[in-house]
Amino acid sequence: MTTTTSGTALLLDGRADGEPTLARAHDALVDGLAAGGWAVDDWRLLDETIAWCTGCFGCWVKTPGVCVHNDAGREVAERAARSDLLIYLTPVTFGGYSSELKKALDHLVPLKLPDLRKTGADTRHPQRYDRNHDLLVVGTVPAGQADGAGARTFRRLVERNCLNLQPERRAAGVLERGAGEWEVGVTVGALLEEVGVISDERARPANEERVA
Amino acid sequence: MKTPQSALLLVGSPKPGASSSESLGAYLLEELETHGVHGETIHVMKALRSDEATEQFLAAVAATDVVILSFPLYIDSLPAPVMRAFELVAERRAGASAGAGRQQALVAIAQCGFPEAEHNATALEICEHFAAEAGFEWAGGLALGAGGMIGGRPLREVRGMMRSAVRALDVAAAALAAGRPVPGEAVTLMAKPAFPAFAYRFVANRQWRGELKKRGSGAPLDAQPFA
Repeated sequence: MTTTTSGTALLLDGRADGEPTLARAHDALVDGLAAGGWAVDDWRLLDETIAWCTGCFGCWVKTPGVCVHNDAGREVAERAARSDLLIYLTPVTFGGYSSELKKALDHLVPLKLPDLRKTGADTRHPQRYDRNHDLLVVGTVPAGQADGAGARTFRRLVERNCLNLQPERRAAGVLERGAGEWEVGVTVGALLEEVGVISDERARPANEERVA
Repeated sequence: MKTPQSALLLVGSPKPGASSSESLGAYLLEELETHGVHGETIHVMKALRSDEATEQFLAAVAATDVVILSFPLYIDSLPAPVMRAFELVAERRAGASAGAGRQQALVAIAQCGFPEAEHNATALEICEHFAAEAGFEWAGGLALGAGGMIGGRPLREVRGMMRSAVRALDVAAAALAAGRPVPGEAVTLMAKPAFPAFAYRFVANRQWRGELKKRGSGAPLDAQPFA
């Protein structure tokens, strides 16, 4: 008997090159999601033409909820709105996300309403949809910098994103470039467990017979 | 930091027309010019439109003493085109001679549509990391809330409502022109709210509804097209 409910994960893959640690993390994420019975919308952003978000706010006041530009950028909000779990995969870039990932994330604005509301001590935009997305973020830094200033900023950025996205479950991990199969697998597995994708009952590879 | 002879304003707003980011950066650049600093302006979006424009942008960055980056907050961070520009500059300067042996500084102005300036903190940290990785001296960051109040107008026209921001930029310009980083006084002045947050929220929320009436396609503001 399983304790988690499977859903759909949107994997926003912000890799710019064939950096092997991110490739291993990607493969471990896809395998883990499959093992947990999740459908994966695996989106390699490097291959996509997504116009930069110009901040026109047409997605708030002209066609509420939909980007006015009809390209793959419009799909970002649609695919995210229909997912249960958002996954960001990126090289940590000056403490932030790569431009490949960010070009997609900037198109998540339609998931919010334009209204400004006081939330705790700050002002924030309310969610457009009732559905909450869990969030899992994996970044890579140069060897020896997993606890460095850039990684700390990266974690703070994810926390700030969580204040806006309001996920019920969230997990963020920073891997050092050059990390091996085991290290990547263990880290990714722990992150997937944090967001409820896998448990001991679901930790085995998808192609292995599962005990009922 | 050395006394600058030149300053390059990078407008990080992806908007094609006038922007609050440009208003803030232009004011700082104009103030530096009154101190004898030669100023130049490049829009990041235009710099990424062609290989030729990108080369001109990279050359201008390599040639200046102070880079002023002024940008709007996008999802707790910098707009994607500014991150792309950062990647290109860092890539060009890694192991290259551009800027090598020269003292160049980077100062950043971040503004957001929330009334609280604190939302910009992480984005300014990212700018500081970029400065360190690309070989710039970090000259400081200024964070402004309620940036929507500027509405792309020249700051001198809205200075009544933005008087703290104007004062902050005056103080910052005097320091930068003298070869010093942005003083804490300027940071505090820039972050000082011009009016109560609830009043800003009230006006902003009314304006969104007004915009919906003017530009809307008939769908309500809280439509859920992908529910």
